[in-house]
Amino acid sequence: MNWDQIKIIFHREMRDQLRDRRTLFTIVVLPLVLYPLLGMVLLQMTQFTRVQEVRICVAGKEHWPEHPRLFESVSNSVADSPDSVSRGVEFISQSVGDELTAKMRTQARIELASGQYDLWVFIPKGGKIQPSGNRDQNITANGEELEATISNVDGIPSLYILGNRASERSLLAERRFRTMLAHWQQRWLKEQLRTHDLDPRLADPISVATSDIAPPDTRSALLWSKILPFVMLIWALTGAFYPAIDLCAGEKERGTLETLLSSPANRREIVWGKLLTVYCFSICTALLNLTSMQVTASVLMRQFGRLGIAEGLDSLGPLPISSLGWLIVILLPMSALFSALALAIAALARSSKEGQYYLMPMLLVCMPLVLLPMLPGMTLSVGTCVLPITGAVMLARSFIEGQYHEAWIHAPFVVIVTASCCILAAKWAEKQFESESVLFRENERFGISSWLRHLWRDRASVASPAEAILCGLVILVALFFGRLVSSDTVLNWDSIARSSLRTQIALVLGPSLLMATVLTRSLRPSMGLRVPRFLDLSVCVLFAVCLHPLYSRIVWFLNREYSMGSETQAVLEQLQGVISAAPWHSVWIVMAIIPAICEELTFRGFIFNGLKQKNNVLRAILISALFFGFSHGMLQQSIAASMMGIVLGMIAWKTGGVFCGLAFHVTHNTLSTFLPQWIAEESNLPTTMRWAFSRTSEGVDYSSLWLTVSVLLSLLCAAYIWTRKEHEKSNAPSTVSWLRQALSAASFARR
Amino acid sequence: MIEVQELTKSYPDLDRGCFVALDGVSFRANAGEIYGLLGPNGAGKTTALRILSTILKPTCGWVRVNGFDVVQNASEVRKSIGFVSNNTAIYDRLTGWEMVEYFGRLYGIPRKQLDDRMNKLFDDLRMQDIRNVPCAKMSTGMKQKVSIARALVHDPPVLIFDEASVGLDVLVARALLDIIARLRTDGKCIIFSTHIMREVERLCDRVAIMHRGQILAEGTIQELSDRYGQDDLEDLFHDLLANHNQMHGVASE
Repeated sequence: MNWDQIKIIFHREMRDQLRDRRTLFTIVVLPLVLYPLLGMVLLQMTQFTRVQEVRICVAGKEHWPEHPRLFESVSNSVADSPDSVSRGVEFISQSVGDELTAKMRTQARIELASGQYDLWVFIPKGGKIQPSGNRDQNITANGEELEATISNVDGIPSLYILGNRASERSLLAERRFRTMLAHWQQRWLKEQLRTHDLDPRLADPISVATSDIAPPDTRSALLWSKILPFVMLIWALTGAFYPAIDLCAGEKERGTLETLLSSPANRREIVWGKLLTVYCFSICTALLNLTSMQVTASVLMRQFGRLGIAEGLDSLGPLPISSLGWLIVILLPMSALFSALALAIAALARSSKEGQYYLMPMLLVCMPLVLLPMLPGMTLSVGTCVLPITGAVMLARSFIEGQYHEAWIHAPFVVIVTASCCILAAKWAEKQFESESVLFRENERFGISSWLRHLWRDRASVASPAEAILCGLVILVALFFGRLVSSDTVLNWDSIARSSLRTQIALVLGPSLLMATVLTRSLRPSMGLRVPRFLDLSVCVLFAVCLHPLYSRIVWFLNREYSMGSETQAVLEQLQGVISAAPWHSVWIVMAIIPAICEELTFRGFIFNGLKQKNNVLRAILISALFFGFSHGMLQQSIAASMMGIVLGMIAWKTGGVFCGLAFHVTHNTLSTFLPQWIAEESNLPTTMRWAFSRTSEGVDYSSLWLTVSVLLSLLCAAYIWTRKEHEKSNAPSTVSWLRQALSAASFARR
Repeated sequence: MIEVQELTKSYPDLDRGCFVALDGVSFRANAGEIYGLLGPNGAGKTTALRILSTILKPTCGWVRVNGFDVVQNASEVRKSIGFVSNNTAIYDRLTGWEMVEYFGRLYGIPRKQLDDRMNKLFDDLRMQDIRNVPCAKMSTGMKQKVSIARALVHDPPVLIFDEASVGLDVLVARALLDIIARLRTDGKCIIFSTHIMREVERLCDRVAIMHRGQILAEGTIQELSDRYGQDDLEDLFHDLLANHNQMHGVASE
């Protein structure tokens, strides 16, 4: 790679983009103008809500004590009224009867609905309200009636409030009235205390003094650290996407890409030149937006604080420089990731218009990862920091909030994950530029019939990568709906078995078998039905046994990191109870064998072989493992299963078929299903095997000794499988010789 | 200078399964010679020239340009050629001068030398008056001149013109042919693809007539007319295509 070439390309692309009015508008003008304008509108709107006066109709005002006064209209224009809460409330009196009747309520309801006033307050004579029927029921039945404030003190009347919670004004009126009422109660209480020769201070016996150890910097950082990363990353993404479209799809459209491809710069240099340009724009957009938004927001909030709209916000100054620094540190890798992703996706598009269509899917994928850190209760942990984007945002937040210890511990994980994602995305972008079919995609007319004809006519012996991925997606969607349907099944073995079989056979094996039958020429290569060597099978069984302790430890760790809800836990325990009571052979078939067969044929058969084309082994192993993982539904299971999927993928690759993986899978499932209940009773353990298990506070588990030994043994097994030459066609035994081998081994065992 | 041997290129295609754009094409072009590729639209000329300029990779066969293999030494090949096609547009937001300068720098020409070379080129092609005009504001003829300057900036020994006169008016097309003729006298090896007979007759030393990914006939115009007993190139071309279509059971177009 020649950096001079990259520099030349980068300079030209930058100059080109800076001369593009659309790009400049989105990247420079929009952020500088957008936020101040938005702020202005917001300020005016809040002022508008401040002047909004509400009308409260009071019926039976004469039944309310003269002193202290409650129903006194105070207009909003009175700057410093003695009671600032009552600003903007107008009371109108109404003379009605002494008792609350249905007719009065109906009348008030009509007047409320017609907007004559926003709240109706009724004070009956003599204090008590006799609600007709059950009050709660009344409220829920029509949703209009608020409540009767029933007083228990003689001489204080009760209040009946009728409002309309579907109306913003009515809600505001109620809120203001309740605040006034609370103030009134305080004053009344103090007066009562005074008349009874008691200290009026008894009304508020506790005085609370608060102070905050957080320096003002950090206080403002807390709010900013939640909002700013989100805004920054969304703009980093947007800022990467538009230039990327212009640099790839736009160049294709204008015909300049071919000119560039015939120049001495090679594809890699072209990609990196473009990538750097996109990167620059992504960073600039994010930074400009960040600055503009922060300046506007801090000005706005100070204004709000001064107006007394939002108490305490006036202390919210600009984000401290150090925090800003951390945001920028996090922006650099995130922008790189977004730029590479945007470039790779934009390379797929034939025109700018087509490129725009790809923005939404990309946003939809990235958005949850950016939003996740904003959820309450999300903290930086091993579990969250390995999520791409999310981990980086959480890390930035920890730094901004001053939790340096936490942050530094998790920083290496975040760096590794983010760097891997960036490298993968950049490689993907490079790959797109190497691909003739991507660069020179013609606008071929797409017709369903010709496509179907093509699918049938050009069937290969194994599925295409696209078909394999489609199969995985179909299975995930089917499982999602399948689980929704079967989630309320009764907990007994019969129904569990039936639903498990239905899920596995119809939703996992079904789609892949159907696709293999229709889309490939033969089931044998497409599903990986290749007869294995007996030795390989045995090693895989041993491998599964040896890997199980490590797997159990990983599952235990995952359950601790991503704690399961208590409800889920209860259901799982119930399930375990039902399973342990069921006959073992049916449990074995339903929980261990059938899932293994269905999943292996699908994930290591159809999907793996489809993805493995053109020696793309890594892609095949990773994607099939991810599909396998996600098919397990629960997050904890998904992560553990994805790891297992990688091991199984390696087995499928090296042994060239599904059967060795199947042996591994069945063994693993058997251990996972039966071992916990078997070792729960210590008496079940033969004395010769006691060393492999130990009793912990949570029950019996593998001992550390066996864990260490088993990990070493599984490394040996992995090494054996790894060193096995793939596709040893000549060595692959025929079915007959395999049977003979198996029979001789069996007779040996009998002897 | 250019050797093409059994060149084949096929693409996956929705309607036809696999579409063979080039089917075992072989030819050879020498320095100081204009080699014409004559064929109707879809004959495979553009595909062949894209492979020659390393933009596409061949499915089978090999191509050597200036002694370099297009797959093994793609970078050297790109340095030895100037490629002008109606698909190689210029950057709208650059001026003519900036456009040519950009490519000159990509070819690694030192700045001083590049300046001299460009000044000479702009004089030769009579482009000095449009050097600071943004390409977006240029006429088709001016744009084509900038393209040619871009292809000549590094003084390559091999030049490839793929339907370069499409869309040009008579005057500009004529000027283009003059430039190409001049380049031949400079000893360049030139490949010129077109579907216009007049241009071939005027310009090319040797011609290959292409149809459906194959070369139907090759030689100087004189040789071709002797071989097929046809003095008029257009008639000769038409007969060859008709014969080929007849042999392969395709309705004549």
